[in-house]
Amino acid sequence: MAEHKEEMRDVTFRINRFNPHVDNRSYFDDYTIPVERGITVLRALNYIKEHVDATISFRAFCQAGICGSCGMRINGISKLACTTQVWDELERCKVANVIKVEPLRNMPLIKDLIVDMDPMVDKMKKYSNWVESIMPEEKMGEKEFLISEEEFLEYDKATDCILCASCMSECSILRAHKEYVGPAILLKSYRMNVDSRDGAHDMRIAELVKDHGVWDCTHCYRCQEACVKSIPIMDGIHGVREDAMVSRGAKDTSGAKHAEAFMEDIPKKGKLIEATLPIRTNGIGWTLKNLLPMAFKMILKRRTPPPPPLVKPAKGIKKFREEFQEMTDHVRRDREDHKNKSGE
Amino acid sequence: MKRYAYYLSCINESMTKEVDKSIDLWQEDLGIDFVKLHESTCCGGSNLDYVSPKHFALVNGRNIALAEKLGLDLVTSCNTCLLTIRSAKKKLDESGALRDEVNGILKKEGLEYKGTSEVRHLLWVLDEDIGFETIGKKIKVPLTNYKIAPFYGCHILRPSAILGKDNPVEPTSLDKLIETLGGKVVPYEHKNKCCGFHTLLVAEEESLNVAAEALGEAIETNADFIVTPCPLCHTVLDSYQAKALKQANIKKSIPVFHLSEMVGLALGYTPRQLGIKRHIVT
Repeated sequence: MAEHKEEMRDVTFRINRFNPHVDNRSYFDDYTIPVERGITVLRALNYIKEHVDATISFRAFCQAGICGSCGMRINGISKLACTTQVWDELERCKVANVIKVEPLRNMPLIKDLIVDMDPMVDKMKKYSNWVESIMPEEKMGEKEFLISEEEFLEYDKATDCILCASCMSECSILRAHKEYVGPAILLKSYRMNVDSRDGAHDMRIAELVKDHGVWDCTHCYRCQEACVKSIPIMDGIHGVREDAMVSRGAKDTSGAKHAEAFMEDIPKKGKLIEATLPIRTNGIGWTLKNLLPMAFKMILKRRTPPPPPLVKPAKGIKKFREEFQEMTDHVRRDREDHKNKSGE
Repeated sequence: MKRYAYYLSCINESMTKEVDKSIDLWQEDLGIDFVKLHESTCCGGSNLDYVSPKHFALVNGRNIALAEKLGLDLVTSCNTCLLTIRSAKKKLDESGALRDEVNGILKKEGLEYKGTSEVRHLLWVLDEDIGFETIGKKIKVPLTNYKIAPFYGCHILRPSAILGKDNPVEPTSLDKLIETLGGKVVPYEHKNKCCGFHTLLVAEEESLNVAAEALGEAIETNADFIVTPCPLCHTVLDSYQAKALKQANIKKSIPVFHLSEMVGLALGYTPRQLGIKRHIVT
């Protein structure tokens, strides 16, 4: 005999409410409605709007996970309402049978579940996230651009982005500073930078390495984990960083200097030389101003990293250094091959 | 006795020496033998992977190969080392060409990356191999009366495609360990969020905002202390705590313990033995 399964149940949706003309701050309204198994959160919201309270505002369009309009936080996680099953969320409720629905974070709230997407669009413009064609306008239409499969695979996943802003909502650094570029923009910049039809690479990279740019990402991977299209966003962010280091070197950017320190230290001692890392990243002035007061406390507690001469090298470091150098030769050879190939 | 190759993390060799010190005290009590890999080198700390992907594969292929030579799994007590070495392992396992290139270099040292050793976190070993039930039976000083705020740290949870042990949205392993040791887990939103460590030297204000939010929430719950399985999270949450809380205008403070110290306390070792007195916030 088939196991009995509950197919219908009353579920409470605890929805964020905010009307800028009336309210000073957001509050929650509870709506308890009958829900059938298989119903998405978006359909439940539509039901509430049609049958219970017409004043609830949210954005939605395609209902199929394609347009990216219905990004919101459901039980605390940013995702699309149209691809989220109510039954799945019932297993994640903090209060049994109550699904919390809130607007995306890190963007100004307009009303109820609607946020202002303009700051994200403005950043897309700031970082020139479109293909700036390398072909002069007068030549357009005369010749096709051919994209190799190899090149396409480099940005294939990145083109899946539907700009739903779930990643922006989850971003730790965007929450800490609203001017930070943000994961969706970095992903799009990566996608444009690796496109051989694009001629704005150098300009885009120069903008991306400035303050609040690519080096401010703290590698928390919350963007990637939240991505509704399972895009490896961090690969894109790291791709921009790798590109920046190859194309313009560490130069004036503290983030790049910090990253380069790992490359310097590993063959020296097999370990990171932490004592001089702040100076190598930001210079002596910054280090004295920012870290000296803390350093006193750390010295008292014997927590300071040892000065470089006292960092004990890893056992067998000589052999390791030879191996590291051999890989450096491989990388150099790869770059020459790549240069010759693209010059053909 | 269960044997593992133990990876020496840079930070545990310099700023957070109390991690390895406390593990050394209790490993035998739990039937663990950590064989320290003195030949291992810095994993690249979630930076080398984009600075030079090939050196990243070589360095970590070698770190894993050292464990494989001993026929042991590689264990680390640092979240970022865990993610970094596991990321390299995934790349090596997926690309025969990269593996051949790395092995072509490593063979001069008599090493070969085969892909036979797993890369695991100390917390995972305690959970999966030793078992919390067994650990529970060895407790001498249960942490009863302590309200503890677990702080998992990012790189033991995300990306789940590379880590895959705890559900990154609702992690439970550290919660269960706290309960096993007799402590009371304090629920709070930030337990699976970020500490801000990786941008401390690049975007300090942002990093400290991230840290202050986590610390502030843990303080609000009236937890007695935070516990973390990651020495990098510990560094921000402890050493940088005063600076972070000052920036956020929060007046109270909260001690932060390493996972290894919390286990040591329950197994009957004193704070002095465990190196807890070396923390900045006490």
